Amino acid sequence: MSFARALVAAGPSARLAAGRVTASRSLALAYRWHSTAPRQQQVDPLVSNKPRDYLNPGPPIRSPGTETATYSATNEPGKDYDPYKDGPSAIDKAVHLFFFTEIIRGMWLVLEQFFRPPYTIMYPFEKGPLSPRFRGEHALRRYPSGEERCIACKLCEAICPAQAITIESEARLDGSRRTTRYDIDMTKCIYCGFCQEACPVDAIVETQNQEFSTETREELLYNKEKLLANGDRAEAEIAANLHADHVYR
Amino acid sequence: MVSLQRTIRSIRRVGLREWWRQMQYIGDAKSGRFVGKDQFGNRYYENLNPEEEVPGRHRWVDYAQHDYNATQVPAEWHSWIHHIRKDAPTEDRVMQNLSPPWKAPWVENLTGTRGAYRAYNTVRPKYEAWEPKSTPRGGPSA
Repeated sequence: MSFARALVAAGPSARLAAGRVTASRSLALAYRWHSTAPRQQQVDPLVSNKPRDYLNPGPPIRSPGTETATYSATNEPGKDYDPYKDGPSAIDKAVHLFFFTEIIRGMWLVLEQFFRPPYTIMYPFEKGPLSPRFRGEHALRRYPSGEERCIACKLCEAICPAQAITIESEARLDGSRRTTRYDIDMTKCIYCGFCQEACPVDAIVETQNQEFSTETREELLYNKEKLLANGDRAEAEIAANLHADHVYR
Repeated sequence: MVSLQRTIRSIRRVGLREWWRQMQYIGDAKSGRFVGKDQFGNRYYENLNPEEEVPGRHRWVDYAQHDYNATQVPAEWHSWIHHIRKDAPTEDRVMQNLSPPWKAPWVENLTGTRGAYRAYNTVRPKYEAWEPKSTPRGGPSA
């Protein structure tokens, strides 16, 4: 038994080398504690960097010889090391086990949280932080002169992955081309923001408004008037957000 | 949230009447700096002391209407209470300069009421119903 443990503690290389190296060498090998051994290869004669003697290879590698089997009980490895030396004593562990101290410590943590102020945000009186790049309800913007920005280039319609945007356009009486239909199906929209990325004149934007829930589905089929109205009433916020972000664009 | 010391401190600051109103709406005794009031009468407060308010709960609104709604906050104050802008719109020069003269008045989300948005077509319909036109018999061709 002790012999087998010596071999296991020394690792597989010792099993190979046991027949070759002297008994004292393998004893020293066997006394190494497995977890603290620096590297087994350093003491392994098979992989040493010395040139190998091919003319005199020594005894053939076989099962360990008889002299290694003469270990006594004093040679049992690990006897000089006490793994419980730095840990708690058996009485300590028994106390923690029988008095349920871990359960009480866990319950004490819960009790501490009970007396701490919660992090609950009382919506709608208090609201969590949003980014100026937040993508919420859509809006069509106007130029500061009041002229609508959209020039019906249909890039947003082309890039929309959900195909939620429908655009039709006509030339106005003054010759400029504007949309006559700008419909966004908000039930199809996935709020990816590609439309505002694609827009060359910053006409279609996604505002920071996220509270546009409706009671019927039909109210989410936005047309051009609704989108322009969204932009008209939130233009200050949209422009301030674009101004806050313009250095990164 | 409900610490006795915090409640007593807030009551001593805002008074019993205001505390009672807070308990009816926010459900918590809060006290802080009065930041401003929008065109609808909603009042906005801020308390940046982390000992008194948990960070994240340091800006709040006291709605003017009993039937309060998150969309009653106009867009300028919306960006303040969502912590998008650091300064309130009364002090924010950027937002004041970027407000156009044609800015439309704010309306809250009117869904479920008679003022709710109803989708309609903004162009002429592509196809029309057939209008039957018949030539009277015994006309000039007969």
